[in-house]
Amino acid sequence: MLPERKRNLLEDSSVDLNDTILTQRLEAVSPCRVLVVDDDDLVRARLGALLRMADYEVESAASGHDAIRIMSAKHCQILLTDWQMPDMDGLSLCRLVRAEPADSYVYVLMLSVRDSKQDLLTGLAAGADDYVAKSAPIEEILARLEVARRITHVEKSLRSSNRENRRLAVTDALTGAYNLRYLMKNLPRELARSQRYGHALALLSCDIDRFKQINDGFGHEAGNDLLQAFVARTESCIRKSSDWIARVGGDEFLVVLPETDVAGAGRVAEKLRKVFARTPVPTHAGAINFTASIGITAVEAQHDIKSAANLDDLLRAADRGLYASKKLGGNHATASGVIISKSKMNIKKGGSNGIN
Amino acid sequence: MGSIKRRPRKAPVAEVAEDGFENLRHAFQARLESERVHFVSLSAALARAEENPSWIFEDLQFRAHRLQGGASIFEVDDVARAAHALEEAAVCASKSRADNTDEKVWAALVTLVQLMGNNQGAAAATAASVTA
Repeated sequence: MLPERKRNLLEDSSVDLNDTILTQRLEAVSPCRVLVVDDDDLVRARLGALLRMADYEVESAASGHDAIRIMSAKHCQILLTDWQMPDMDGLSLCRLVRAEPADSYVYVLMLSVRDSKQDLLTGLAAGADDYVAKSAPIEEILARLEVARRITHVEKSLRSSNRENRRLAVTDALTGAYNLRYLMKNLPRELARSQRYGHALALLSCDIDRFKQINDGFGHEAGNDLLQAFVARTESCIRKSSDWIARVGGDEFLVVLPETDVAGAGRVAEKLRKVFARTPVPTHAGAINFTASIGITAVEAQHDIKSAANLDDLLRAADRGLYASKKLGGNHATASGVIISKSKMNIKKGGSNGIN
Repeated sequence: MGSIKRRPRKAPVAEVAEDGFENLRHAFQARLESERVHFVSLSAALARAEENPSWIFEDLQFRAHRLQGGASIFEVDDVARAAHALEEAAVCASKSRADNTDEKVWAALVTLVQLMGNNQGAAAATAASVTA
């Protein structure tokens, strides 16, 4: 069922939009905002009324400066602008829109009484995507706007796909944690930032205890459920704004804690250890209890002491801590400090801050 | 890139009652009347301006340009064409520093004023027949 406004438009003898494809487009495409810029109030009103009937959201501006102000407040997919206007003309407006970086593309359609080939070329050269004379039939103006709507819709879809692809490229598909690629790119940055500003940086190297047996005993689906629960529980215990987790192997994860010293990391590790062990995970094979071993390491650089830590040192230290926790039978968090005074620290089994 | 050429359209008065834009059309008709008065005043000023009519050419150019845009969007094509002719004539006269007897300007001005008057009459007749 077409909305009333659209029915009116299709029935309107002066605007022949009774085209199946066009109608389908009008139905399918989400609301599209058009900014009508013209110094003539009646022209703005007439165009605005026509566009609303064609299901566009309409904003209007009496000058180029008005247009810029509106566009900085809300995104308009299409800019329908006159050429000759006081203060800022349509060409300058076009150039300004093209010069400003925007989150989404703005399709510019120039609408002018100037209708020579040279005018058209000048408009396009200024950054307009299309150019139509005011003397063109209203149907043509609407048809060109429909093209603009299609193009902005496609651009939005592409942008959204790109964003999703970028996310998938750095995300582990099973758990939603970051993947190894993300880790290898961003951990060096975290370390560099910590060294530049003399801030602490901690890492937790985590491994689910006896994961292979769980996988073999309960099946891969249950194992996958466990991995997902592991990440979800970890994410519930770390700061969303700065901390992050990456999956580095089958059941191995690295939790990165910027601005966190070894004591803070120890508290996080202990919290994680408890959260993992507290309640069983509902899986395809029933509820399963699990524990994890954690290795802790941290760079505790201070402003007056230049940290000499490198990434390999840091990862090796975290692995040493993890290995120590495993040797203690699992369900342990063991610190293996790298830099500054404390070279080797251990957290007792089940203990809170028992750093040796 | 498609055509930007002018295309013939239906007579505007026949559409008044059809497309649901009556209020805007009435507002535009009122503007046509007001602009017609301005053009008549400017023609009187042009007739008197024997020494320096350039400001009148510029005013004619500005008003004709604006009128052409409005008339195009409101599909009053004959007025839009006449306004375009006046704008071009005024630009030429301005560039060539023509005097106040420039034939092209006068011809375009007279045509436009007459058309605007006719348009008013036609619009009034349509409105009267709709009311009746």
